[in-house]
Amino acid sequence: MMETTDSNRYLLSVEEIDTYIGQFHILEGVSVDVAKGSITVLLGRNGAGKTTTLKTIMGLTPPRNGRVIFDGQEIQGKQAFKIANFGIGYVPENRAVFRALTVMENLKLAERKKGDLDRHADFIFELFPDLERLSKLKGNQLSGGQQQMLAVARALVPDNKLLLIDEPSEGLAPILIQQMMEAIRKLRETTTILLVEQNFIMASQLAERYVIIDDGKSVHRGLMSDLVQNQDLIHQYLGASIQAPISTSEVQ
Amino acid sequence: MSYNSKKLLYSVIGILVVAGVVFGLYTYAGQEAFIRTTLSGLTLGSLFFLVAAGLTLIFGLMDVLNFAHGSMFMIGAYTGWQFYTNPTFIFGVLPLVLAFATTVMLIPVIKPLLVRLDLSEAWQKRLPKLAYIAALLVAVLALVKFDILGLAKTAMVAVTTTSSNPLAELSPQEPLPRFLLRLLLLMLSGAFVALGLSKPGNRTEVSAPEPLKKRLILPVALFVLAIIFTLVRESASEGVLLMNGNLRFALAIIAATLFGFLLGALIEITMIRPLYVRSFFIVLMTLGMSFVMRELVQVLWDPLAYQMVRPPLFAQPGRATTIAEWLMNGSSTISIAGVTFPTYRLFVILLGVVMFVFVTLLMNRSRLGMIIRAGVQDPQMVEALGINVKRVFTLVFALGVALASLGGIGAAPFLPVQPMMGDQYQMQGFITVVIGGMGSYVGAFVGAMILGMARAFGDYFALKLQLSPTIAEASTVIIMIVVLILRPQGLFGKKD
Repeated sequence: MMETTDSNRYLLSVEEIDTYIGQFHILEGVSVDVAKGSITVLLGRNGAGKTTTLKTIMGLTPPRNGRVIFDGQEIQGKQAFKIANFGIGYVPENRAVFRALTVMENLKLAERKKGDLDRHADFIFELFPDLERLSKLKGNQLSGGQQQMLAVARALVPDNKLLLIDEPSEGLAPILIQQMMEAIRKLRETTTILLVEQNFIMASQLAERYVIIDDGKSVHRGLMSDLVQNQDLIHQYLGASIQAPISTSEVQ
Repeated sequence: MSYNSKKLLYSVIGILVVAGVVFGLYTYAGQEAFIRTTLSGLTLGSLFFLVAAGLTLIFGLMDVLNFAHGSMFMIGAYTGWQFYTNPTFIFGVLPLVLAFATTVMLIPVIKPLLVRLDLSEAWQKRLPKLAYIAALLVAVLALVKFDILGLAKTAMVAVTTTSSNPLAELSPQEPLPRFLLRLLLLMLSGAFVALGLSKPGNRTEVSAPEPLKKRLILPVALFVLAIIFTLVRESASEGVLLMNGNLRFALAIIAATLFGFLLGALIEITMIRPLYVRSFFIVLMTLGMSFVMRELVQVLWDPLAYQMVRPPLFAQPGRATTIAEWLMNGSSTISIAGVTFPTYRLFVILLGVVMFVFVTLLMNRSRLGMIIRAGVQDPQMVEALGINVKRVFTLVFALGVALASLGGIGAAPFLPVQPMMGDQYQMQGFITVVIGGMGSYVGAFVGAMILGMARAFGDYFALKLQLSPTIAEASTVIIMIVVLILRPQGLFGKKD
């Protein structure tokens, strides 16, 4: 591929990372490039290593080998909080909102500078009007969908250049999936997003580029518009993970 | 049933049970005995809370069971007692510690230069080791013939003398030129430690440093303090001893708490931080540390029990009838609804309540508290938000030890100050945490009060019904067992 280390074009370049969790070799040379201002989606079956890839970028499971270059700097091996402070927001898959904290406190906690929340509150509450209404409730009183929105909103509080979003549609009702898609679409206007998404319909409508991860390796990459045409590829790598077909009209 | 109505039901049942027990005890024991025993229970409960609050916060956030917590309680008592009775030891050792810390804290200044050095990998490994050996040798050299035991014994003199001249107990410090040499050597030793810790030649540690001015603040401040405290070694002790006794006691509390905080931070950074990945080792390590601390105290002050003199506000013979009268005369006892009760114990109750309010405000109103509450659930996610969780761990550990240390100095004027004094409180602290729920400071407060009451009323019944006095100690364990059966996560614990 000719486009491997063009740092002007790529906000994030993950180069051949190897990640171990305990004894297990989870990622075996994964490479992912994310172009500035785009949405790139990681596809693959359950357990393929998509979530670990995000965690490795974030520094939560540091890689043994390989490089992670963000905004021109090598960030692999740095502590997670330092990586976050480079301007990366992380939305984990399990909706890790803080249950003992109110919605407002959850957002406040994500501030990196004083006033971060004040500056972005309008934008966040416009995107997720529910959160403003629920701002005094504790995390454990929110429904799954509300928690998911809070988890995404939390990543928007500081000035992040890149968002890593893990399975935003997981377990959401169709109407909420639609709202989440709208929100992510709006986010693209201002930030760059690396997405993990099992819902192929949603992924194909949001992302311009894809990387398929299979068994800890990045096996395929390209433009989303090409992948949609390529039924063989979809079946080979994603077959089991494509959810029950939701017609496009239902989503939109 | 919904979550909220269930909660309400439990609260109502809880209040009814408490009210029933209180009413039963009141009618059985009669007003006088009831009030006296309750106040005793609250006194004990306050001390239990000061120990348990730290334990529960540290366990909740970091999953660390600190078995040295009781020793830290004891250290707090010794520090405060020393400061109050005869600070010669403290002021004699302080400049040495400050001098050593000055150069160790130079790390942020020298590290950016050292990591850029061109060193082979072998030397990168060898150099820190050599530096540590050098540091140790220089430190030993610095302390040759330093009469630390002599300094420590000065406070023991205070126990036997009851002269009206407080300065009679002071002993002279070492002559200045020799002491300065020790300071210089210790600074050199600290510099070697800093050299080792800076990982010379390790380029992966390169990161954009903060402005030089900011990095120099701490070492310079420490250096200035070291100089000041060297010059006032003798006059500071005199000054402290000539001070008003109440003020001296207030300063002793601050000194003990501050020392606990710094000690906690030091222990967390140097010994606990490397072990988070092997949490079982932390248990062994803290257990071992508690033995080391106890032995160290025994070496310095002999395995004796000391009685700290109560500060004047609580020491004049006589009984006050109102709080105003007590504060004016400094009476040693006060009459509360006809019951004579020592005033100092009221102060201990106040200390416990004030610290509970402090912890509550800290947890609910400050950013640190928010981080702690979030970190209890998911420290990784807190870190992913860009928060230095390691630093928060250090802070919380230091805070917990400071609270235990505060409990120690709070207890010193009415408990014998001796090397084992913390053991019982650590035990009760753990039981408190189990009853209240791991990680909940409200639980720690409620649990501590329940245990305090159980101890006090246990003693009362043992006396009245001629039971073995150990029934009071056993009662706390029985309560723990009952709670574990009915509500294994503790009264205020969260199911997980």
